[in-house]
Amino acid sequence: MNIEINHVNKTFNKKEVLQDVSLTAREGEILCLLGPSGAGKTTLIRLVTGGLRPDSGEITIGGRAFPDRETMKQIGFMPQNDAVYSDLSGLDNLLFFGRLFGLSGKDLQQKAEDSIRWVDLEKDKKKLVSRYSGGMKKRLSLAVTLLHNPSILLLDEPTVGIDPILRKSVWDRFEELRLEGKTIIVSTHVMDEAARCQRAALLYEGCLIENDTTENLLRKTNSGSLEELFFMAQKAGGTL
Amino acid sequence: MKGLIIRIFHQMGNDRRTLALMIAAPILILSLLYLLLGEGTYIPAISVSQDFPPALLAELRKQDVDVSVLPHDIDADIDIGMGADGVDTDTAGADTDTADTADTADANDANDALSEVDTCADTLLKEKTTDAVVTVDTDGMHIRMLESGSSKAASITSAIKNAAAAVNPSAAMNLSFVYGQVDSTSFNSLGYVLLGVLSFFFVFIISGISFVRERETGTLERLMATPIRRISVVGGYTVGFGILAAIQSVLMILFSRYVLGMKFEGPVWLAMLIMVLLAFTAVSLGAFVSIFANNEFQVMQFIPLVIVPQMFFSGLITIDTLPYGLGNISYLMPIYYGCSGLEKIMIKGFGLEGIWKELCMLLAFILVLFALNVLALKKYRKL
Repeated sequence: MNIEINHVNKTFNKKEVLQDVSLTAREGEILCLLGPSGAGKTTLIRLVTGGLRPDSGEITIGGRAFPDRETMKQIGFMPQNDAVYSDLSGLDNLLFFGRLFGLSGKDLQQKAEDSIRWVDLEKDKKKLVSRYSGGMKKRLSLAVTLLHNPSILLLDEPTVGIDPILRKSVWDRFEELRLEGKTIIVSTHVMDEAARCQRAALLYEGCLIENDTTENLLRKTNSGSLEELFFMAQKAGGTL
Repeated sequence: MKGLIIRIFHQMGNDRRTLALMIAAPILILSLLYLLLGEGTYIPAISVSQDFPPALLAELRKQDVDVSVLPHDIDADIDIGMGADGVDTDTAGADTDTADTADTADANDANDALSEVDTCADTLLKEKTTDAVVTVDTDGMHIRMLESGSSKAASITSAIKNAAAAVNPSAAMNLSFVYGQVDSTSFNSLGYVLLGVLSFFFVFIISGISFVRERETGTLERLMATPIRRISVVGGYTVGFGILAAIQSVLMILFSRYVLGMKFEGPVWLAMLIMVLLAFTAVSLGAFVSIFANNEFQVMQFIPLVIVPQMFFSGLITIDTLPYGLGNISYLMPIYYGCSGLEKIMIKGFGLEGIWKELCMLLAFILVLFALNVLALKKYRKL
C-alpha cells in the first residue's frame, strides 16, 4: 500500500508547522524523514497515524482517503517516547495492544510470543516494564508496533537513545520488513541512517526541501553527506 | 473495551500500593473516625462554688459527670469574677488570706470585678484540672468553660440541664427528632458524609492520575493510533476503574455496617447502589479533570477546587439556612446527591421510592461526563 500525502498544511497556534507538503511512500521501500528538531517530522507522522488532521490537503493510503478505521488496522506506529505501560509486564503490554487490533485467543498468544522473541525479550517477558532498561523498552515498543503484522510502519525516531549495536540490529530488522513488502516511514535526525533508506525527504522549518531517492540526493552534494543539503538550505533561506 | 478493562485489572494487580490505597485506606480512616467520633468514655469534671444550691448539687452528682466543690480559698476568688462585666478596681481577690472578706464583698458588688475570672477560674480550666466552673447568683447560673463548640461543652451543658430539670420538672426539655435519636453519636449521624466523601476522594485521585499518566507517557497517543473507538476508550476506563471503585464502595458499606455497627435505617443494598453510582461519577470526574492537567501534580491541584467545596455541601453544613441562595450550588455537585441519598437511606430510612431523584441525578452526571470525555479525546483523533 502506498501512502500519498498531497499538499498538506498544518498550523499550530498560528505557527505553520507544515507548508504544502506532498510526498509518496511506496510499498517495499523505506522513506526517511530527515530534518533538524522542530522541522515537522513528528507532525507529519502524526498526520499519517490519524492523530492529527491536516488543515488543508489530503492523505490517501492504498487509494483510500485517510483517516479510516479499516486502514488503521494496517498501521503499526512507534512513537518517539517508548509509550509502553511500565506497570505491566512486557507480555501483558503486547496482549493489551493486540486486543485493540482485534486479535484474541490462540492467535493473539502466538503473535505476542513471536513478536517478543523477534526482539530478544523472551526471557524478560514476565518482568514488569518498570524494571526494563532503556534499550529493552525500545525493543518492546518495536514489538508492539509489529505485533499485528501491519503493512505500514510509521517509526518516529526509533533509534534515539540506543547503543550502536542495538541500532544496527534494529535497522537490520527494518530491512527484513522492507523485503517483505511493507511500506515504511522512518523519521530521524541522524543523517547516516538515511543511507539505509531508498528514499529521503528533507524537512526544514515545515517545508519539504528535497524529496528523491537517496542515491540522487547524495549525487547533489559535494561531500557525499546529506547534511550538506541542510547547510545549503540554511544559506538559501529555507528553499533550495 | 474489554482489553482496556483487563489491562486496568492487570495494572492494579501489579501495583499493590495503589490497590491498598483504594481498599485499606478508606477502611483505616473509617475505623479511626469511629474511635474519634464514637461513644466516648470521657467523664467531664465540673467544679462548683461553695454556695451552690445543695438540691441541684445532689442531682448533678447523679449525672455522668465528676462533680467537685471548690476549696474555700479558691472559691472566694472565683466567686468575685463569675458573670461580672465590669473592671476590677480592688485587689482583694488576689489575696487568698482575706478570702472571707472578699466572699462577703462579692455578693454586693460583683459587677466591679472581672480579672479574677482570668486569674482563678481560667487558670483551673487552662491547667485542665477541671472542665467547667459553675457558680450561682441572683442572675442565674454561670458556667465557664475552656472552648466553645467542643464535645465536652455539649456533655457538660446537657448534664447541668438534666440536673436542673430534675430539681424543677417544668423546666425540663424533652428533645426528640423525626429522624435520628437524641443520643446518636457523631459517627452515626455523620456516617453518610464520611462514606460519600471518602469514597469519592480516593476514586477521583486514582482515576485522574492514571488518565493523566496515560497522556504524559504517550500511551494514549499510541492507543488512539489503533482502530479502537473513542467511546470504547472512555467506556473501558469508566467501567474498569468503576468496577474497582464499586468493590471499594461495597467494602466500605459492609465494614461500616457490620464491623463498626453504623446505623442503617433503610436497606443496605440501596446504600451500596448510591455508593457505586457515586464512585462511577468520581471516575468520570477524575478523567474529565485530567484533561485540564498536564501532569500528576496538576491533578492534585484540582482537589481544593473540585473536592473541598463539594465536602461543604455533603451534609456537614445545613444547606437550607445558607444565605444568598448559595445552597443552589449544591445542585451542581455529585457529592451532594450521593450524600443526601445516603442520608435518606441511613438516617431517614427511605426506600427506593424516596431516593429516585438522587439516583437519576447521579446517572445524569455519569452520562454527561462520559459524553464530555469522549469529546475531549478528539484532541487525539478526530475519527
